[in-house]
Amino acid sequence: MNKILRVTLAFLVVGLVVWGCAQESGPIKIGLMGPMTGPWASEGQEMKQVVDLLAEEVNAKGGVLGRKVQVVSEDDGGDPKTAALAAQKLVTQKVVAVIGTYGSSITEASQNIYNEAKIPQIANGSTAIRLTEKGLKYFFRTCPRDDEQAKVGAQYIQSMGYKKLAILHDNTTYAKGLADETKGLVEKAGVEIVFFDALTPGEKDYTAILTKMKAANPDAVFFTGYYPEGGLLLNQKKAMNWPVPFIGGDATNNPDLVKIAGAEAAEGFAFLSPPLPKDLPTPEAKAFLESFTKKYGKAPASIYSVLAGDGFRVLIAAAQASKSTETDKVGEYLHNQMKDFPGLTGKLSFNAKGDRVGEVYKVYKVNAQGEFILQP
Amino acid sequence: MEVFLQQLTNGLAVGSIYALIALGYTMVYGVLKLINFAHGDLFTIGSYLGLTLLTSLALTGRLGALAGILCLALMVMGLVALIGALLERTAYRPLRQSPRLSAVVSALGASIFLQNAVMLIYGARFQVYPHDILPKMPLDLFGLYIPLVKVLVLVAALVMMMALYLFIQKTKLGTAIRAAAIDQGAARLMGIDVDRVILIVFLIGPALGGVAGLMVGLLYGQINFTMGWVYGLKAFTAAILGGIGNIPGAMVGGILLGVIEALGAAYLSIAWKDAIAFCVLIGILIVRPTGLLGERVAEKV
Repeated sequence: MNKILRVTLAFLVVGLVVWGCAQESGPIKIGLMGPMTGPWASEGQEMKQVVDLLAEEVNAKGGVLGRKVQVVSEDDGGDPKTAALAAQKLVTQKVVAVIGTYGSSITEASQNIYNEAKIPQIANGSTAIRLTEKGLKYFFRTCPRDDEQAKVGAQYIQSMGYKKLAILHDNTTYAKGLADETKGLVEKAGVEIVFFDALTPGEKDYTAILTKMKAANPDAVFFTGYYPEGGLLLNQKKAMNWPVPFIGGDATNNPDLVKIAGAEAAEGFAFLSPPLPKDLPTPEAKAFLESFTKKYGKAPASIYSVLAGDGFRVLIAAAQASKSTETDKVGEYLHNQMKDFPGLTGKLSFNAKGDRVGEVYKVYKVNAQGEFILQP
Repeated sequence: MEVFLQQLTNGLAVGSIYALIALGYTMVYGVLKLINFAHGDLFTIGSYLGLTLLTSLALTGRLGALAGILCLALMVMGLVALIGALLERTAYRPLRQSPRLSAVVSALGASIFLQNAVMLIYGARFQVYPHDILPKMPLDLFGLYIPLVKVLVLVAALVMMMALYLFIQKTKLGTAIRAAAIDQGAARLMGIDVDRVILIVFLIGPALGGVAGLMVGLLYGQINFTMGWVYGLKAFTAAILGGIGNIPGAMVGGILLGVIEALGAAYLSIAWKDAIAFCVLIGILIVRPTGLLGERVAEKV
């Protein structure tokens, strides 16, 4: 008995020592939470490609603070429940910070978990206004906010001279927020809202909704939901022979939209978005696009994956500048000291709420070949 | 009036797909008193197999659009029926004598297995049917725009449902299925091979579910590995609405559910569409607990 106890103790001590050493000299773990499966899988998989590539580059240059960087990715499935689980998993794996995710409702489900664990979270595709209005100390985002998006959307709607507008959202945090915000702005400008309702995401047949919208006779339709439904709407609108112009929010910005709708049905669709990877003007972006294309054989398709890359880069910069991976030092640096960091998507600084400062939404249009063309 | 008719046709097209899937639920329940939760995933498999066969064999190019689609549909039906029979053999038959709950758990497990299998084979991203297989021109009936594909789907679904109804009512095998549904023990005593009947049910149900998957692919173009869940749930609801275990009930229930959804969205609220449909379901079940066409069956002792 005594012998067994002693052997066990010895093992425990050795184990603890080994573990302790590993903690100090092992790699710095950075979490990546994204929709690797589910309806938004194309976003999540590309996020992983981008962050993996950047981590490789950092490690090739010797890592951070003398330690290698290891990316630990978890799948949130584009679903709030799965996201909460994924967040718990990353917290228990002792990551120093988390990048992600895509989709405001998904981010919202994980925000408090990270905040309570004092792990900084840098979201890449979550533009709902209220995410940064909660006073969470460790939440940041590299994407802009929906009040700005609504402003650009309302300007576009007015400039096109639309007098009667239909707004369709999908009841997610992001889509509902953008729809409400835009409604308030365009109504002030004298545009009549003839239709305002939500669809159920994940279905295939939206003809009932389109028929009802058509009866309201709008000059244009503003859809604030995501690309899988956006593609179906465009396709079914075309099949109904209804030529009304469609405008989308930045969640329709994914090449899968054209794949689902067909180029013919998607032609003329206008959407709001931060500039796409191919239109990024910075030298950092050009170099990044080149190495991404070299590694994966194609350029990144979505801006959100590049924004995830920016999340990774500011994090590394903050760790290097503050010479620490401690939450409070990194957070403090991101909030107050980082000024005009040369990001892939332009200059980056964060305000006290954790929102990105500056940066403007652009209007894009789909051409006859199904390509996204930046509108002047 | 025009909007009403347009919405009615929208609802009919959606409802006929619900009805086709609901038939699979109701047939299995009728004979085995088991809810086959994996049925929605057989539907998904149908749409994926349809896509693979369509793009790899290029049938529509060789045989022309209609004959190609018909040939494709038969192939999909055959393959999904095989998978259905295999499912019965591996997931349900070993549990035939166990408590009913074990079979339900097995069905749930099979559902998760099939869904993940599809994801691993085809990937998690959306797959898209080619956009140019069927002529896109809409029929213009008195100012109503109805895409030709929709009419074809509706007609095909109705023809298949009629054929199934006649098969069950008029043929010897159909009689055997009905007999096994009423009382398996007595059917066995009358010399009916009940295991064979169950196998046939697991060939027909999945075949119809699979062809519904193909129709969804052709109609909407976009398929993904989780879509079986939403359609499965709706079809299951439709089967209950019509009276589970009752074949005409599943057809009526499916089409009714589609129409209620479309009209609810049109005249009440789109966001409340599902709530409206389920309220109607609850209302009907309060008045008729066995569903619209279900018969009251004495509890077996």
